[in-house]
Amino acid sequence: MQSMIILSATIQWNKVGMVLGIIAGLAILFGILIIVVTKVCHIEEDEKVTAILSHLAGANCGGCGHSGCSGFAESLACGKACIGDCKVTSKEEKEIICKIAGIEMSDDEPTVAVVRCGGGVNAVDKFDYVGYEDCINQVVIMGGDKLCSTACLGGGTCVKVCPVGAIKIDGDGVAHVDKSICISCGACIGKCPKVVIDRIPAKAKVYVACNNHCKAKEVMSVCKVGCIGCGMCARSCPHGAITMVDNIPVFDYDKCTGCMTCVEKCPRNIIKVH
Amino acid sequence: MGNFLMIIIMAVFVNNFILVQFLGICPFLGVSKQTGNALGMGLAVTLVMTMTCLITYPIYQFILVPLGLQYLEIIVFIFVIASLVQMIEKFIKKFSPSLYNAMGVYLPLITTNCAVLGVAELVIDKAQMLSLLGIESMNIGVAVGYGFFAGVGFTLAIVLMSGLRQKIDKLDVAPALKGFPITMIAASFMAMAFYIFNMISIG
Repeated sequence: MQSMIILSATIQWNKVGMVLGIIAGLAILFGILIIVVTKVCHIEEDEKVTAILSHLAGANCGGCGHSGCSGFAESLACGKACIGDCKVTSKEEKEIICKIAGIEMSDDEPTVAVVRCGGGVNAVDKFDYVGYEDCINQVVIMGGDKLCSTACLGGGTCVKVCPVGAIKIDGDGVAHVDKSICISCGACIGKCPKVVIDRIPAKAKVYVACNNHCKAKEVMSVCKVGCIGCGMCARSCPHGAITMVDNIPVFDYDKCTGCMTCVEKCPRNIIKVH
Repeated sequence: MGNFLMIIIMAVFVNNFILVQFLGICPFLGVSKQTGNALGMGLAVTLVMTMTCLITYPIYQFILVPLGLQYLEIIVFIFVIASLVQMIEKFIKKFSPSLYNAMGVYLPLITTNCAVLGVAELVIDKAQMLSLLGIESMNIGVAVGYGFFAGVGFTLAIVLMSGLRQKIDKLDVAPALKGFPITMIAASFMAMAFYIFNMISIG
């Protein structure tokens, strides 16, 4: 009883009305303003973009060169991007997207990234590098510390940039891609300052872990394991899947059966089992 | 002119919102990984701070003070900031898509940024502002100017931090300190460096 009397005595109803009036007034004022601004600044949201976005993988890996999946969806809707740029989205989803966007389905087969270098500790050093453990920093000084101009520096830029953690650098000083994890987004391919990472079809059994196009003598002077372009693999392949281009074997993975003859014959052991 | 210079020095350095007053720490630590993002965030905060001062100062001086309802300030200011951010976002999206892309997701995020509320609260504190800037009277020009340069100070701090963090990320830091701890240590050193501005007497 006592408390109720105090309560009724201390409430100044005109003040409460004023407070409520100010808050309600501001609420209505800003409500109207927001509605007006929204109407004035209305932008047509493209339904296509939202529909495409819902079918993309949503990895936001940035491998397609756009800031994220939403940017890629916008480019797809206005026909500026190619659906094949996205390596993460599954084929079924891509077909739906192509129907929505009205673009041609490019029939790309799934790929994975591989490191085209097997050198590492077997590649001859130019000098001892001491500093930031990052290829982008290493390459500033005389193009990296390896004598071979196309060698993997092993600084780990690709390891850091990989959105799924598929790349590791083991004791041999070369980056290795785990093909069971790799989504072939292309983030590492864009970042590698030595451009030593490449894509091969996911079904490929073997690949050449070297991209030095020099003649045998130069390669031997810079690396203990680099491809010398002897052509033994091309001659010995029973299916004719290998051709020599600029001192490096190039595989036709449609013909390759994975018989491993080239792996056995290679004198430098640079054709690796994938 | 002297007053104007005073506002710049006070708002940007001596009373830097992040490094001296410790307001707006979450964007300072959260959005400072890359310089581009940090700049976008700073830009958005500067814009909202300026607009907030422009609107909250008259509301306080000409509505709340005559009615004696100063205690409503926080509720009203939050209200104004939240609606303002909504409107600014729509406006920029329509008229400057490039600026909208530069600010990205950070514009809606600063709706509840304490630095923005902090500057709105500071510019209405007449006694503190007068002693801070050494001027005779307070007006809306000073309030808006202070809001703008407080935003510039915020941008300066967050951009400096992003540059430092990018360098630190590449350094060989002890495993226990890697990542967030070393960032906090760097931030504390920056705060100490900015605290020196307090010792400078501007006469």
